[in-house]
Amino acid sequence: MNFRHVYIITKKELGAINAEKTIILAILLQLFIAMFSSFLIVGLAGMYDPDALSDYSRQKYPVAYTGSPSPLEEMLQESGDFVVYKMDLGTAVTALEERKLSGVVWVPDTASDADQPVKITLYTIKNDIQSSVVNNKLRDVFVAYEENLRDIRGDRISSDPIVVNLPAEIPGTNFYEFVYGLLIPLLIFMPAIISAALIIDMITEEFQHDTIETLISTPVTFSEMIWGKVSACFVIVPVQAVIWIALMVVNGIAVAGIVPILLHVSVASLLMILFSTFVALHYRERTSAQFIFSTAVVVVLIGVLSLPANPANLIVLLSIGAVGSEHWLVLAIMTGVLALCMVALNRYTHLVEKTALQ
Amino acid sequence: MLSALRQILTISKWEVRRSATTMPREVIPVAAALFILLILVTGFTQESGIHLQDRMYTAGVDSADTGAIILGDPRFTVYLGTAGETDLTISPPNIRAADTDRGGAALKAFQTDYTHYLTAQYNREDDLFAAYPLWIDLQYVKSELDFTATEAGTGVSSAPDPFRNPTPDRPVKAVPEPAKEIGYTREELRAGLVGSEGEDRTVSRYTDVIAGEGALGDFKTPSQLTPPLPFDVIVLVFVFIFPLYFTSQFYMMSVMNERIERRGEILLSSPLRPSAIVLGKMLPYLVVMIAVTTILSLTTGKTLIVLAVIFPVILFFLAAALLIGMAARSFKELSFISIFFSTVATSYLFFPSIFANIHVISLISPLTLIIYAVEGTAFTLADYFYSTFLFWVTAGILFAICIANFNEERLFTLHPLRDKVREYIASAISEKHPFASLFGITLFSIPFVLMAQLMLLVLLFNIPMPFSLVVLTFAAAFIEEWAKSIGIYAIAVERPAFLTWRNVILASLAVMAGFLLGEKLLLFATLAQISESLFGAALFTSLQVIWMPLSLHFAGAFITISLIKIFGKRVYPIALVIASLVHGVYNLYFITGGF
Repeated sequence: MNFRHVYIITKKELGAINAEKTIILAILLQLFIAMFSSFLIVGLAGMYDPDALSDYSRQKYPVAYTGSPSPLEEMLQESGDFVVYKMDLGTAVTALEERKLSGVVWVPDTASDADQPVKITLYTIKNDIQSSVVNNKLRDVFVAYEENLRDIRGDRISSDPIVVNLPAEIPGTNFYEFVYGLLIPLLIFMPAIISAALIIDMITEEFQHDTIETLISTPVTFSEMIWGKVSACFVIVPVQAVIWIALMVVNGIAVAGIVPILLHVSVASLLMILFSTFVALHYRERTSAQFIFSTAVVVVLIGVLSLPANPANLIVLLSIGAVGSEHWLVLAIMTGVLALCMVALNRYTHLVEKTALQ
Repeated sequence: MLSALRQILTISKWEVRRSATTMPREVIPVAAALFILLILVTGFTQESGIHLQDRMYTAGVDSADTGAIILGDPRFTVYLGTAGETDLTISPPNIRAADTDRGGAALKAFQTDYTHYLTAQYNREDDLFAAYPLWIDLQYVKSELDFTATEAGTGVSSAPDPFRNPTPDRPVKAVPEPAKEIGYTREELRAGLVGSEGEDRTVSRYTDVIAGEGALGDFKTPSQLTPPLPFDVIVLVFVFIFPLYFTSQFYMMSVMNERIERRGEILLSSPLRPSAIVLGKMLPYLVVMIAVTTILSLTTGKTLIVLAVIFPVILFFLAAALLIGMAARSFKELSFISIFFSTVATSYLFFPSIFANIHVISLISPLTLIIYAVEGTAFTLADYFYSTFLFWVTAGILFAICIANFNEERLFTLHPLRDKVREYIASAISEKHPFASLFGITLFSIPFVLMAQLMLLVLLFNIPMPFSLVVLTFAAAFIEEWAKSIGIYAIAVERPAFLTWRNVILASLAVMAGFLLGEKLLLFATLAQISESLFGAALFTSLQVIWMPLSLHFAGAFITISLIKIFGKRVYPIALVIASLVHGVYNLYFITGGF
């Protein structure tokens, strides 16, 4: 094999990717997915998390207390989140409907140590963001009241759970698992999947546009052309991974083990690219090849994720610096498989060249 | 009419025969094998769980009993003995976390596990009402507020007065006092509590503030008092969208194939109408999609509702597939545009539906209606209209554009995507009535503008509140200005001489009229619900008094066009930015009620 030829093809394909701006679309796509997954986690949690919302305005919500007197009334007032009005039920609910109140609590005259539980009725507006926030704040008060009642009825509880005194607040760790346990593996493997889909298009296009004959009538052989395309698709994967990691670091998210992460990603992505090259060479037609490939990718992804110590898990562990040396073993095994696949692909390209193109 | 129908059917038959003969024989069996494999793998995954975050944390415990609290959590590697360097050191009642981010996260993870442990203990208590002495009965009331106040920009409520009870404006209605009895037996409640224990923790792990489905509907213990995330149902809904995406890919590819080596020339030179070709080629895929949806919906039991909801989505997917297939220059471009499109479309469909039980914004996605149908929540015809309206309209417009452009010139030339889009738009401008065309283009761009703006609304939830409002305002203004100027830009590129000052003013007027009419129409048709919220105010402030938005829309278009006239078409992006700044500042001024 003449590596100069491979290099020429690689350069040509990279030039085409650049000219068509597909790479920009690809990066935009990844950014979009990252934004949306963070919306799903951060935005959603922020919406329920009163602290996140009340950062810029410490608002007090008006609630009505109706029914019989109980310690709950005082607890609501002391929480600092509510302005509590003592009202009768009908007026309160009507005012709630007009949004002059954020919630109405009805308390029955059940005794604290009664046999029956205390059943509080909470009137609230359905499908409303403010109600969700208010309910969440009310929940904290209710949970405290539940603790009170549980203490009063303590002699009736028989189990004796292990008591652990958790600190009241755990600062600034809300999204650690999301960032390291989901976003980083997602962003790092996305370029691999994109490149694998890209090579199918590159190869089938040559077949379907009948440009393949022109190409191999040049000094470049068929297998050099395939390897040129493979390396074009492969090269952009670690580059994108580096960009994502750099972005993370710039945003104050420390990523450990960058070099091993890049090695893992490179091996895994090249494996995926080789796999889709096989598919493309087999079908030589985009619809079938992409269909089979995308179905297979879903199967493989789900399958791999359900195995312990899979590459994605290792990348999570590497990025937080919590991995032992066993990841080198996984890397070695993957590299072995990769080498076998490369040999097999080389054989297969010669086979295709002989049977299909003569 | 009959012959048109016959033409469509003929093309459909060709399409079916072609795909049956050109597809390699072994694709179907391989696909079937992969599908079976997929089911097997999914089954295996459900058994063994997703091992993505395994062994993230280490914990040292003083005894095996303590270790049992977190032994079931794969995120922890548990060591017996508290001497080692671990993220967490637990020797009850004390717990110590390493002073790192990871230590804090481990503590958070432990907190969730500990709550689960306690819950499991209490759930098995003999005297359940001693362990759970407080139950909350949630009663929902319907908001009766007239929202015109919010629309006028006065929606932000003032701080409540602690010394005076609020008094309702309407007559007080009688509300029956709730019963103090609980209405369920101990064992019924226990069954509900134990049932909610087994919920999938891989989801709640990310954000422990989202509780699972409550024990018994609206009857909850205090710790269950957070709106449920209808996760199972959302997954189910995803199941409906995925096959649509797959099938529309085949249609896209079939259109693309006609363009390779000018293969479709024969078809075009036949007496068949372009509309017959486009629709005929589409029909088999439409049938497949409907069939798949029907089969899938059998699992939910609400086949008719699901079909009614999905059908406009199917049309939208097919229309987009047609456009992409007609515009892409190469397979690579086809892949990326289609992946990009489907990601955006899926998120538009998927993410609002997460809020299904929380906020009305969820209704912009038809999928929310499916969730409602599955959950048994009733929805009205108005809700259906509201959430599917944009899909109907945009699909219709896209089909119209594609059919008008289904000719040799558009199909067999390879221009960059941006030029292609411009050409498509230019094709809609008549030489004789350019201003009427501009009016029409602007009018029809409104559904797309709205879709993009609603998308922004969802995206910008991420950012803290005052900032998100500002970004939303300017981004929304940018999209509007873009839509308003795109027709004129297309003319300016093809016929630079058209831009005389007289025509610039007339064009701005045409655009202004089209945009305002469209916005008003849409508002009356669908937007009552969104415009109720403060975010809605950010998007639609320009709707209050008629002359102000008129002059605003005129000014925006005029700025863009005159900048293009003076400095040439290269300044188009900058002109857009300037126009949207003006537009955005105006909107901000009105939302905040004057700075």
